[in-house]
Amino acid sequence: MVWFLVAGVLLVLNGVRAVDRSNFKTCDQSSFCKRMRTMGLDQSPYRAILETLELSDSRLTLQLINDNNKVRLLLELYRLQGNMTRLKINELKPLRSRFEVPDVLVGEPPTKPLSMVSRDEAGVVLSLGTDAHQLVLNARPFRLDIVEGARVLLSVNGRGLLAFEHLRPRKDTLSKISSTVGSMWDSIKNMFSSNTQKDSEGEETTEGAQEEGEEREEEEPGMWEETFKSHVDSKPNGPSSISLDFSLPGVEHVYGIPEHAENLRLKTTDKGDPYRLYNLDVFQYELYNPMALYGAVPVLLSHNAQRTMGIFWLNAAETWVDISANTAGKTLSGKVLDHAQVPSDAPQTDVRWFSESGIIDVFIMLGPKPSDVFTQYASLTGTQSFPPLSTLGYHQCRWNYNDQEDVRAVDAGFDEHDIPYDFIWLDIEHTDGKRYFTWDAANFPQPRDMLRGLQDKRRKMVAIVDPHIKVDSGYRIHNEIRSRNLYVKDKDGGNYEGWCWPGTAGYPDFTDPEMRAWWASMFAYDKYEGSMENLYTWNDMNEPSVFNGPEVTMHKDAIHGTWEHRDVHNLYGLYVQMATAEGLIQRSGGVERPFVLTRAFFAGSQRYGAVWTGDNAAEWGHLKISIPMCLSLGLVGISFCGADVGGFFKNPGPELLVRWYQTGAYQPFFRAHAHLDTPRREPWLFGPQNTALIRDAVRQRYALLPYWYQLFYHAHRTGEPVMRPLWVEYPQDVATFTIDDQFLLGRHLLVHPVTEQGSQGVSVYLPGVGEVWYDAHTFRRHDGDQNLFVPVTLSSIPVFQRGGSIIPRKVRIRRSSTCMENDPYTLYVALSPQGTADGEIYIDDGHTFNYDRQKQFIHRRLTFANSSLSSSNLSADSQFTTASWIERVLILGGQEPSAVTLRTADGSRSLEFEFDAATSVLTIHKPGVNAGSDWTVLLQ
Amino acid sequence: MVLFKEVLLPKCNESGGSSGYLPLALIMQYHIVVAVAICSAVFVDSRKIRGISLAYRKFYKEKKTFLCLDGSKIIPFDQVNDDYCDCLDGSDEPGTAACLNGRFYCTNLGFRPCYIQSSRVNDGICDCCDGSDEHDKRTRCPNTCRNLGQQERAALEAEMRAVDDGMHLKRQLIKEGVSMWQEKQNQLKDLQRILSGLQTKLEAHRKRKLEADAHQAKVMGVLKSPGDGAGGKTAARIFGQLDINKDGSLTVDEVQAGVVNLQDDRSLTEEEVTALLGGPGPADLFRFQQTLWRSLQAAKKVKIKADLRGDLGPPNEGPATRAAPSAARQGEANLKEMEEALETTRAEIGNLEKVLSTDYGSSREFLYLQGQCFQLVVYEYTYSLCPFSHVTQKSSTGAEVSLGKWRYWAGPQEHPYSRMEFEDGAPCWQGPPRTTLVTLTCGTETALKRVREPTKCQYIMELWTPSACEQQREARRRGVHSEL
Repeated sequence: MVWFLVAGVLLVLNGVRAVDRSNFKTCDQSSFCKRMRTMGLDQSPYRAILETLELSDSRLTLQLINDNNKVRLLLELYRLQGNMTRLKINELKPLRSRFEVPDVLVGEPPTKPLSMVSRDEAGVVLSLGTDAHQLVLNARPFRLDIVEGARVLLSVNGRGLLAFEHLRPRKDTLSKISSTVGSMWDSIKNMFSSNTQKDSEGEETTEGAQEEGEEREEEEPGMWEETFKSHVDSKPNGPSSISLDFSLPGVEHVYGIPEHAENLRLKTTDKGDPYRLYNLDVFQYELYNPMALYGAVPVLLSHNAQRTMGIFWLNAAETWVDISANTAGKTLSGKVLDHAQVPSDAPQTDVRWFSESGIIDVFIMLGPKPSDVFTQYASLTGTQSFPPLSTLGYHQCRWNYNDQEDVRAVDAGFDEHDIPYDFIWLDIEHTDGKRYFTWDAANFPQPRDMLRGLQDKRRKMVAIVDPHIKVDSGYRIHNEIRSRNLYVKDKDGGNYEGWCWPGTAGYPDFTDPEMRAWWASMFAYDKYEGSMENLYTWNDMNEPSVFNGPEVTMHKDAIHGTWEHRDVHNLYGLYVQMATAEGLIQRSGGVERPFVLTRAFFAGSQRYGAVWTGDNAAEWGHLKISIPMCLSLGLVGISFCGADVGGFFKNPGPELLVRWYQTGAYQPFFRAHAHLDTPRREPWLFGPQNTALIRDAVRQRYALLPYWYQLFYHAHRTGEPVMRPLWVEYPQDVATFTIDDQFLLGRHLLVHPVTEQGSQGVSVYLPGVGEVWYDAHTFRRHDGDQNLFVPVTLSSIPVFQRGGSIIPRKVRIRRSSTCMENDPYTLYVALSPQGTADGEIYIDDGHTFNYDRQKQFIHRRLTFANSSLSSSNLSADSQFTTASWIERVLILGGQEPSAVTLRTADGSRSLEFEFDAATSVLTIHKPGVNAGSDWTVLLQ
Repeated sequence: MVLFKEVLLPKCNESGGSSGYLPLALIMQYHIVVAVAICSAVFVDSRKIRGISLAYRKFYKEKKTFLCLDGSKIIPFDQVNDDYCDCLDGSDEPGTAACLNGRFYCTNLGFRPCYIQSSRVNDGICDCCDGSDEHDKRTRCPNTCRNLGQQERAALEAEMRAVDDGMHLKRQLIKEGVSMWQEKQNQLKDLQRILSGLQTKLEAHRKRKLEADAHQAKVMGVLKSPGDGAGGKTAARIFGQLDINKDGSLTVDEVQAGVVNLQDDRSLTEEEVTALLGGPGPADLFRFQQTLWRSLQAAKKVKIKADLRGDLGPPNEGPATRAAPSAARQGEANLKEMEEALETTRAEIGNLEKVLSTDYGSSREFLYLQGQCFQLVVYEYTYSLCPFSHVTQKSSTGAEVSLGKWRYWAGPQEHPYSRMEFEDGAPCWQGPPRTTLVTLTCGTETALKRVREPTKCQYIMELWTPSACEQQREARRRGVHSEL
């Protein structure tokens, strides 16, 4: 009864707000978040029992005790290869085992020796390899500080917010609701304040301590059951949440923890809700808001002019992150004071994580450079999958292309209007009644004919396959999953059922390897009827979306094998994409690279394909936010990111649509998409002028495909983001730290899309003292380290190439990227003030794993120095033959030579050239050399 | 500067059928192309003349130099078709993909020649039916021109026959249209005649009714004549009612406020009132009974205003008064009947005028569609198109939804009667009202052939009708024939 009243009040309160918000919990409505957040900022009740310390070569274990309830925890510390520290905290003897996230790390992270520097009653000091890097452990209260010389880099539990709700037996349901409204912690502290001193350390058995503690513990509402709207969470295991705080002295800028519709630089959360990480299908999301969206990557980056670091909180349960600004002196205490000093008024950012279940498992990535953090994180969770080249082209999507004739007509429309594209997409209506892996018999009677028609044009298709499975005894997929007993179970052990597109649906348990293997096998050409090599896959609704579930997702007490949905929630989407990508690999016998787009994601999802920012809207604000949203994802490993071009909901006017194409052309995943109810918006439907503008934007994308491909190759090899915030390349330039209306592609291109209606110009920050930048369209040269006002017209896309870089382009634009395979390159050599430049060229077959398994690729370095441009091999042991050759070289910021000579193994010959004095562009005609060979062009 | 008149050539992807007579003319042309291509091949390096039409061949004669066709640049002839773009207009690379703005000429022996964008040269897709666009040999393109030519000629002939048949039917429909139009005009005239007849009759009836009313009033009036207790009382009551300020006398203003002209309810002038009251100045009850009261009872010129009459209470109905009202009532019933007939006729005339004011095409060839509906069943929906009226969709569950009401002809200027627009149908959920665009296609029957909904709630229908067959096309074709 009480709950009904509470729910009723909440409904009324939320009714006043935007409709969409009321479907989703605030921190106050999530009982563990509320409990954790109301926890006091007093001294931590945890202390380290130094007697229990054990140090093996690379691992330190130590028990922690909560002096209030005597529950003991086990701390594990690892020094990992590549300047990282791993910190794990679990209950020493949990009532049941607690969930530890599998399948996200690419392997057990390799460790490095950990040695003790000193030890006394107050704590221990451990060496992190060098003399300068040490880990200071303070026993009472428990706290950890990572120091470098005299500088504290990061403190753990500096604010004493370590909390660990130990698992406990379920008691009589009558005592469930306590009348106490105040903080549980306050009351506990009062109760134990006299006992604390008397307890002799390590003497009591932990069981005894727990019993004693538990008997006295007050319980709060929401610990054993909670209700949101009409949904009851039965919480059979009771409270299980965890929390830990991190202090970052000297840090004012933190980034990451996507997915939020938020600026690149994270805001402090003191005045509102924490940032929430809980994969949700949010209908018409709001901008600049800490609410959870479709995906979650619990990785936060900190940055200042000296150092970049990262915190990876490996937990897949509902998680909240509080960020506050502080001064360093306030939280510095204990043993670390013997080792390091921090000016007491130095700025500091405090970050606190709390999750509903699982254990504390944190990776502290110590940088120090941004690229080091990317490498460190990549070594843990892997890198961006290397996508097929064609997937970097343009994608034409709509909910829905209605039938085969519609697909044919849209395909023909692109040819008629001479706009390249690589993929046309089919949304849910292509299926037989939302039964995935099937086709609507009336509208898509001959899917293979349709796919062959696209193949004849060297184009491809993506069809949607969602994870909710229609409960229908006439549906093979459903019957097999049911008979194999692979569905997620409800709390009572039956198959979990929810509402989604097909009506009543079951949800396969993708956390089960058997389920994933079976799912993957469904993509075989003989299983997925009508499929062909040029059909790829899109996984939507994999948060999972459950229309009639709490917060439009699955009930937390649903069961995945031995775990609750509560434990694995944020992993579900990753597993769906993982199984699908595996299916696409398997169907080709392991030869072809897959392409799978996902909406939900987690740490590690970068290994399986692309993500998009979900159901955005045709509004200028949504266009603008696509930049920080994709930048944030790139920082945490997910480079293949894009937003629906044009906006999913509502109708874009021609100006917004054009600007969105221009922006999307310079973002990694370039796909137009639209809601079922919107009018058609294929690129040629807005008059010849707008068609021309869109055509031009798409063509710019295609010309740059060699560069995009090379950037993805690097992202795949190193984990570096393709689309980067400026501070990643200019880490000491404070002016770049908050910029999120422009970005870099790799190191060489700076893009400032126009995202304001009726814009007359944009102010572009060109970074780099002593550097120069060249307008990519006019080749005009500008000095770095300035704010440049760039007047714009509707056709402008402000893009600049960094002086000192070489970018290969393919300027012959064809109908699809595949058609451009053998085309020659034009090299854009932008000279630095010193008259030098360098770049790369990467070529492979564009679609198989042969680059990896058989080292079939070309990777060359292009260098311009001392008036000569040369191409040299970067990978002596790889082999690949290309038909592409060097068609033209443009030297930006060049001078007029008297002669230009090409030197190859076959000898020398002179080349024609022309010099435009007005723009200082030297154009060298037709070196004609194969793109895979050694050559030098000399200017005399 | 070279001046050159461009030969009109279709793009390769344009189908011959839809572009009218032109293909046939080109089918004729290809024979000539064959001959010339064979001859010139003897003299020029085949690579150099790749992608060049016969008409342009003269600009690509082997010389030392080549002048870009826009006259902007002279380059060594070696650089023609050398896979590097030198001319701004792309004219030096007609046979390669080097120039972004270039074009490649498909000779297509056996079919019709055409241009493709040079970006389609050597892209792995066969565009020219003779396969000449994929000359780098990476892609094998079978020569399909002969087949295509045959197919197209067959299709064209079939289409011409169909157009012939369609035109024949169309002429009949126009003829029918003429008589139908005449018929409707006659119908309109008839209706107008009926209408004026009805109006005359109605006049007469009204008059009669007025007389009947007057008679009734007279009968009633006699019964309530002055001197008679009841009558006097009535006269006194009316007097009291008219005497607004209750001062025992009637002023001109008070009479004007309460008494109006019998025929048209118009207010009375001061002179009229003075006359009715038998002289100027306020009248007391006695003078009222002698003057205005008599006029009111006679019911010939004036009457008590309608809103005052209600206040008079039920008439005193004795047996002697019955005959007069029944006659009046009889008149009333007739009148009503007449008025209804009049309304119906007026509505019919209105409809007919609307029908006749609609645009049915230059020869009223679409008039025959008026009043007809055409149906098509697509899955669970039955679509119904009623030209010049409305469009509906009926689902198998029975619900009928309006997809739009007739709005106007929406074809482009050169073919105004090729599309019909229906707007303002039932609104969509969270969206605008449904609309339907009907495209009219030449056919030998009149039928609804296709319904699509490319965007939610925006329907596109295809109606086949002989009336859409083009007169012009036929004339052109005959011209072609005569050239043969």
